[in-house]
Order: sequence, then C-alpha cells, then structure tokens
Amino acid sequence: MSRIYASHKQLVCPGQVLAIDLPGNTNCYREGREIIAAVKGQVRVQGKSLKLVPLAGPYIPKVGDVVIGVVIDLFNGRWLLDINSPYYCTMMGEEVSKNPLHEDLKSYFDIGDILSMRIAKVNEVNEPIGVKPWKLEGGCIINVNPRRVPRIVGKKKSMLNLLKEKTGSKIVVGQNGRIWVKGGRMEITIDAIKTIERFAPTSGLTDRIAKLLDAHLRGEK
Amino acid sequence: MSTKEIPKLIDDKGIRIDGRKKDELRPISMEVGVLARADGSAYIEWGDNKVLAAVYGPRQLHPKFMQDPTKAILHFIYNMAPFSVDERKRPGPDRRSVEIGKVCAEALSNVVLLEKYPNTVIDVFVEILQADAGTRCVGLTAASLALADAGIPMKDLVAACAAGKIDGEIVLDLKKEEDNYGECDLPLAILPRKKEVVLLQMDGSLTKEEFQEAFDLALKGCLEIYEKQKQALLKSMEVSEDS
Amino acid sequence: MDIEAYLHKDYILSLIRQKRRVDDRDFEEFRPLAITKGYVSTKADGSAHVALGNTKVVVGISIELGEPYPDKPEEGVLSTSAELRPMASPYFEPGPPREDAIELARVVDRGIRESGMLPLDKLFIEDGKVWVVYVDIHVLDHDGNLIDASGIAAAAALSETKLPRYEDGELIKGEYQGNLPLNGIAIPVTTIRIEDELLVDPCLKEEYAQECRLTVTTMDKNIHSMQKGGGHGSLKPQQVEMAIDYAFMHAPQIRKEIEKA
Repeated sequence: MSRIYASHKQLVCPGQVLAIDLPGNTNCYREGREIIAAVKGQVRVQGKSLKLVPLAGPYIPKVGDVVIGVVIDLFNGRWLLDINSPYYCTMMGEEVSKNPLHEDLKSYFDIGDILSMRIAKVNEVNEPIGVKPWKLEGGCIINVNPRRVPRIVGKKKSMLNLLKEKTGSKIVVGQNGRIWVKGGRMEITIDAIKTIERFAPTSGLTDRIAKLLDAHLRGEK
Repeated sequence: MSTKEIPKLIDDKGIRIDGRKKDELRPISMEVGVLARADGSAYIEWGDNKVLAAVYGPRQLHPKFMQDPTKAILHFIYNMAPFSVDERKRPGPDRRSVEIGKVCAEALSNVVLLEKYPNTVIDVFVEILQADAGTRCVGLTAASLALADAGIPMKDLVAACAAGKIDGEIVLDLKKEEDNYGECDLPLAILPRKKEVVLLQMDGSLTKEEFQEAFDLALKGCLEIYEKQKQALLKSMEVSEDS
Repeated sequence: MDIEAYLHKDYILSLIRQKRRVDDRDFEEFRPLAITKGYVSTKADGSAHVALGNTKVVVGISIELGEPYPDKPEEGVLSTSAELRPMASPYFEPGPPREDAIELARVVDRGIRESGMLPLDKLFIEDGKVWVVYVDIHVLDHDGNLIDASGIAAAAALSETKLPRYEDGELIKGEYQGNLPLNGIAIPVTTIRIEDELLVDPCLKEEYAQECRLTVTTMDKNIHSMQKGGGHGSLKPQQVEMAIDYAFMHAPQIRKEIEKA
C-alpha cells in the first residue's frame, strides 16, 4: 500500500524519506520500498503521487529544451557551444550547410556568436546535440537560476507574454538559465525578470510583476 | 623553566576544562548559502573552529584523459589559512591537508550520486579560518551542507563528529587542549539515516571496550550534528516575502 | 574564454552609455561596506572580515619573533601575502599564488609600507630580534575590486592587532602587551575606466568591461602608492587626476567605518 509521508509544499533535505511504494522520481532515489529525497527541494503532492521540485542544481540538457549557447569552437564540420551546463553542446554543420566538411562554417556562425537552439538528442553521457540554430544579435543576455525558468515563462506563457506586452522587448528564454532581451524598455524587462527569479516560490507573483512593470512605465522607479 | 604542566582535563565530577560534561558538544552554529559566487556554500562555527565550505560543479574536468565516462569525480581540497593556528602556517598544502582531503573525498564520494554526471568534476573546497581541534569533522559537515546547497544529488547528508579519551575517560568532541594532551582521538562521519560509516580514523590507545564506547558516543554526536544541519539547510530554503 | 565576461560585457557597456551602473550606483559611489574586526580572534593576533558588496575577504595578522633584514637592523619586518582561494571564483585554481594574487599582495603591502602607517622602527626589540608582522589576505568571494576590499580588511585588521608579550627572549603566546603601534590608516581606492567613463569600486561584471584600473592609496593628505593595472587600456592625465580625487573623497569615510567597526 503506498503512503506519502511528506506534505504538499513541504521543504525537504537530501536523505529524507518521502513515501513508500510509489514509482520513482527524478530527484529522489529508491531504496527497497522507500522513496527518498536526493536534493534540497519542495514536495508537491498531487493526489496519490508526489514530485520533488529541486531548488538548485546544474542545468542538464533535455530533449526539446530551447537553450541559448555561445560558440566556443568549430572543427570537423561542427560547432561546439557552451550552454551553461557541465556539458558542451554540439551542433552539426548539416543544420545550415549541404556540404559542411568543405564549406567555411565560420561564414555561418563563428566563435563568440550567441545562438538559440533546440536540443534534439542527448546521449548516455549527457552530451546534447542542438538543432535549428538562430543567431541572436544585439540586445543582451542575462543569467538566471535554471530552476526559476518555468516561473519566468509562467503557465501557458502568461508571465512571458505579460513581460513582452508591457515592455515591448524581444525575449528569448533558454531553459539553461540564459535569457536574451532586445529592444523595448530593456532595463525594465531585466529588472522584472530578476524580480521574478528572486520571488519565484511566492504566490501572486504575476500580479506583483504587473504592478512593478506599470510603476516602472509610469516613471516611478 | 620546565615544560608546561599537563593540565587535568576532566575533574572528579566529570566536568571538563571548558565546563562541558563527557557527552556534550561545543556550541555550534551553521549557516548555508553564504557565498555569492560558489554553486553551494556553508559556514560553521563549532567551539572555536571557524570553517567555510564551498562547492563548484558538476563542471568540465580537464585534462580530458582524467574524465570518467561512468561518473563524476569528486575532489576535496582542505586548506588551513595561515592565521588559523597558533603559529602562523605557511600557505600551501602540507601532508596532513592532503590526507584529510583524500579521506573526506572518499566519504563524500560514497554519498553523492556521481553516476548522474559522467565526465565531470565536483570540486569541494574547505577553508579553515580558525582551528581548534576536529577541523576535518567540521569541514566534512560543512561540505555536505554546501553540496546540498548546490543541489547536487546525494543519498543523505554527511554528519561528522569526533570522540576521544582524556584522563582515561571517553568524551565527545575534543577541543584543542584535550586533543593535544588526551590519549585518543576518533573522528567519525556517518550517513545519518542508516548510520553507515563513511569516515573513520583513530589515533592513540584504546581497548576494544573503550573503542565501542567512543564509537557509540561519536555516533550519538553525529546524530545531534545532523539535526543542526537539517535546521540550517531548511532555513536557507525559506524565501522571505519582503521586496 | 571567460564566458561570463563575454556575455555581460555588451550589457554593461550599454548601461554605461546611458550613464547607469548595473547595480544602480552613481559612478563615484562605493558599494555597501561591512567590516567585522576580530573575525578570527582566538588564534590570529588581529583580523578583520570585509564584505564590499558581495566581495568577501578575510585578513589575518600573525606576529612572530624574527631577525631583521641585514640592511635594516633596527626595523621590524612586514610581510604581506594574498591567496585567491578557489572557492572565491570558478576561475581561481588551487596552487601557489600567480600574478593576480602576487600583484594584490604587493599593492596592499605598498600602501601599508609607504604610508608608514605601521612604523617598522617601533617593532625593534633588541639586537638581532624584531617583530615580524604577517598580513595574510584570504579572498573568499570575488565580486570585483579585490584590491580595495583587501586593503580595507588589512587596515582594519592591523588597527585591532595586539602585540604579543615578550619576556626573557621569548614570545608568550596568548598574552599581549597593548596594541600594534599605528601612525594612521592607509586606504586604497580603485577607479576603472570603461570607454570614456570613470567608475569607482567596480563590481565583477564591470571589471569584465573595463579597459584598465588605477588604485590610489592615501593616508591623511598624502598619496602613498599608486598602481595602474587590470587591462591594456590607457589613461589620460585628467583621468588620473580624477582617480586621485576619488581616493581623497572616499578614504576619510572608509577610515571612519574602520574606526567604528
């Protein structure tokens, strides 16, 4: 019989037993019948199942993620990018060229270029392949805790749309904690994003940010 | 003038030179998340010890040939600041620091889920800013909090504490004079949930029975330390609602 | 390639061109300064912890008996060293001090030495015996301007350092005979140049975009040491003057903070 010991929204430490006889969970480990927290995080109980939401940790790329990377090397018809992860991302020349080994790939993307990409594959040692590159020029990149990215995007992109609407900025959010902002009222956009990051676990955040943006736009801050 | 007289470390009522009873820990305070740059950090004041631990990682490991495709490698660097001890210590690792780094790395490598991050390195740095015996236990305790702070997956926290023998009595958590003039020092580190031993060293002289008593006492100390670790870690996770 | 620096540089530049700083300070403003004297008081003879914004440095002072230098037989010895601990930045590696740590130690040392804030002749005990004052800088968290944070921590530590008791040719550990004699407090103030603008007390992100820096150490009304570093950029003479003005502007307030702490 499954039993959940932790309560909804409870904060837990590694080593705390959360439940017995439940299926495994990414941020927990199983020992016998017990499900045990492996990281510091917040428990979310949904009916008979639970999830452990980690509060920190490295960004490990997942298939489908949009990430923002910096080209740090190119060789053998491919690029290598830093994606704010312990693992570099590879992008094959075939993404943009029909003959990558014989073309000068620098003409497409050179070292130092900032690209947004989608992760198409991740191998068994966590190494990702990126596809559908889009060069990000101008604007600026800010870093946030990758764990806060879902809050910055919001349910059904509600928070992100609020930001775009009010500030007029172009915003590309990378799951790897890098966010590109260009145009519009950039300092306001950046300030709002940093505020969301700081207060992510609290409730009523969307309203709070809407008020903050309005105050900025009225010139009060 | 002759050498300093060896003080009596424990009186007939079982009270030690700092007023503690045999099974009492020194005053301890812990804080998690104290450094801005490191991925995880913790600071502990334990008696007169002042110890800072920080974690970077997992991150790229260079040179590449040292990478392990099945798991992350954990490095532990223990360093004493020159001003941390009575006679200024020259900067740089000495043999004692290297050994402590090794046994602590082994302790943490047991508990961190290294297989999740192949080909990477997890760097743990412990700085002793002020030393007063038991620094490897304080360092390991702080390091485990720093790893948890960094969100690195682990089976459990690691709680460490030492026991020893002074004037023939088995006592918990030696301070400097007790370590210098006592008859034994036994540092222990465990995974609190299942009481698994991940670090065990001993120097001095104990009978089998004395060892058992010292081990049990150190274990009890570790469990008390674990409660404090949990409190400190949970406190660091709370978000204040102020703006 | 320092990815962090690379990603932030353009943003910092765009802010500077709007006459703004990333943390909303004025160009000549210091970050919040928190000084704790006697941070490690049981073993060190003097110490201080300084937090300058998020930069954190601990300085410990150890005083030992030693021999004077042969060319200065009636003077004590001042020895300053710095370690950029690997916990302070992902780019600091363990190992012996390299050029950044060495420059840091020598700049802080010059400030103390050239100002005469620590009168070495007062550290003479008797023939062949003097006090050796070790100033050990331990950088724990790097968010820019390590020089000022370290110099302020060193000055604060020295200001509360006690001289060990000396009796019958021996240092009596744990017992003291008054404070280290000081003539004043020397304070370094660092200004950086980004394009045509001068900024005081750079945070790390601003250091990514800096062309160069100038550190000016003053005590009372005199300049005692200067160091241009932190990049290939050049400075116009009037920019050098401004950096000096900034140093005189900030030093008295910082001195007050040290005294109050």
